[in-house]
Amino acid sequence: MSRRPARVTAMPDPDAAASIDYKALVQDDRIHASLYTDPRIFAEEMERIFHRGWVFVGHASEVPHPGDFVTRHIGTEPVILVRNGDGETAVLVNRCTHRGTMLCPADRGHVRSFTCPYHGWTYDLGGALLGVPYPGGYARLDKAAHGLARAPRVADYRGFVFASLRPTGISLTEHLGAATRLIDRSCDLAPDGEVELSAGWVRHRCAGNWKMLPENDSDGYHLGFVHLALFRTVQMQYQRVVGPEHAIKAVVRDWGGGHIEIDWSPGYEGPFEWLGGASGPAVADFVAALERRDGPALARRRIVEGPAHALIFPNLFLGETNIAIVQPEAVDRCVHWHTPMFLKGAPELNGRLLRMAEAGMGPASFLMPEDLTIAGRNQLGLTARATPWLLLGRGLNRETVDPEGRTVSHVTDETTNRGFWRHLRAVMTES
Amino acid sequence: MVSDTDLRAVTEFLYREARLADEARYAEWLELWTDDAVYWVPATTDPAADPARHLSHVYDNRARLETRVKLLQTGHRYSQEPPSSMRRLISNVEVTAGAGGEWIAGSNFLLAELAVQAGRELHWWAGRATHRVRRVNGALKMSGKTVVLVNAAEPLPNLAFLI
Repeated sequence: MSRRPARVTAMPDPDAAASIDYKALVQDDRIHASLYTDPRIFAEEMERIFHRGWVFVGHASEVPHPGDFVTRHIGTEPVILVRNGDGETAVLVNRCTHRGTMLCPADRGHVRSFTCPYHGWTYDLGGALLGVPYPGGYARLDKAAHGLARAPRVADYRGFVFASLRPTGISLTEHLGAATRLIDRSCDLAPDGEVELSAGWVRHRCAGNWKMLPENDSDGYHLGFVHLALFRTVQMQYQRVVGPEHAIKAVVRDWGGGHIEIDWSPGYEGPFEWLGGASGPAVADFVAALERRDGPALARRRIVEGPAHALIFPNLFLGETNIAIVQPEAVDRCVHWHTPMFLKGAPELNGRLLRMAEAGMGPASFLMPEDLTIAGRNQLGLTARATPWLLLGRGLNRETVDPEGRTVSHVTDETTNRGFWRHLRAVMTES
Repeated sequence: MVSDTDLRAVTEFLYREARLADEARYAEWLELWTDDAVYWVPATTDPAADPARHLSHVYDNRARLETRVKLLQTGHRYSQEPPSSMRRLISNVEVTAGAGGEWIAGSNFLLAELAVQAGRELHWWAGRATHRVRRVNGALKMSGKTVVLVNAAEPLPNLAFLI
């Protein structure tokens, strides 16, 4: 696979030493192309957004037993999500403290301890240094000072594990704010109240800046155009968002904090449209289980509304029946991960969710290849210097604020994009 | 035991299938399939992969295979519009007799794909394919094709063409 080198596409920069003026680059109704092309901005985003803030790392169900681990990145930092002997999850930096060797090259696995292949330094599941071979070479080695670096803060919401590489700052609860309800919407569909990510991940290479993924995932305007081939080929739930503008009922919603949503459910007319339709014995046990837990009215609301379609800032995408991760790699390159969201307590639905995941996301699916083709074309188009601005004003004339303080608008409006950028600007300019 | 005649016929079928896929001759490619088609591109090289439990890149039955082809035929499948320029080499062909009068054909492939939909980028794809082939009304057809990419579990660029 040829990996293209990062193109030099920074905008003309009269004074490289000057600090970047994010308030000038991110305006309320337009954003500057350099935000997608300037390697310095990418580096600052990694530092401020990913290496200080809360970032989604993985799901508890991926590491069910002590010693289970998966490897991930927080921004550009390689990390290991591992379950300790005491049952807690820890996020360790995937780098031996001795000579910098990556400890775990595997995507996932099970270990009793981590041993570096270079000189045999060994760490426990919490990253503490257990021992070094031939210790006589050190007058005095302070093992406590040479454990693996670890994320000082790791927190979990309904199995979704987030980490912050900074010891202080807002809590995960504050970071998520009201957007926990988006996670609830997905988890509450599971009769056992939890989702399970056990099918493995598919990773899809994108030749565009990482921000194009969350922006596109929450863009309701492109569907009838980018995905025209699919709309012309099969009947599907998203067809409720094409047709006359005034007839479309789905909405976009900005929850604040960079968390943004497309809510298709106002356009749904019955249960399971989000599942492409389902009825009868195939879902009878599932519906009965939800009714036992929640009563018939709430259960019906859940099966009509379906799971969330939302971005949890900056890198977790609740993609309806999929969970997706946005992984930045370089200013013009990122990776989109996805796995089906299995509903604990409804194993009879897993097969269907698996096939839906393959249809919707990934390099061979029926939706994402188009999205990532457009992202690649965006990255190419943004090299044009004549017109450096991207428009962000769609829907400013009609968006409203609901009683809970969320901004809501027509599904084709850029309310979500503005919410993302407003928060990004705040993070990039906070002292 | 597979006769030289059968070995040759099955090998030629593999070549023809590859050429139709390379040349984006979608309707003719679809004709090569039986109704009980299973087209599988696992997302792992692990031989224990189970498409009933593990996410795949492709796991198509006949209906989904037809959708895949129809998408490509709309002219709006932008990840293959225009189609990538492709050529694949097929080698290491091994044919054995399977159940129900089918042949099981294993082969290695190396595919050069010039992706032209967003910039120009040459992608190399390699792996081993396993075809299940049988005679239907005198013509060879495939009921199964499994493609295990050497980098099945790695991040992949668009794979919207027929692999």
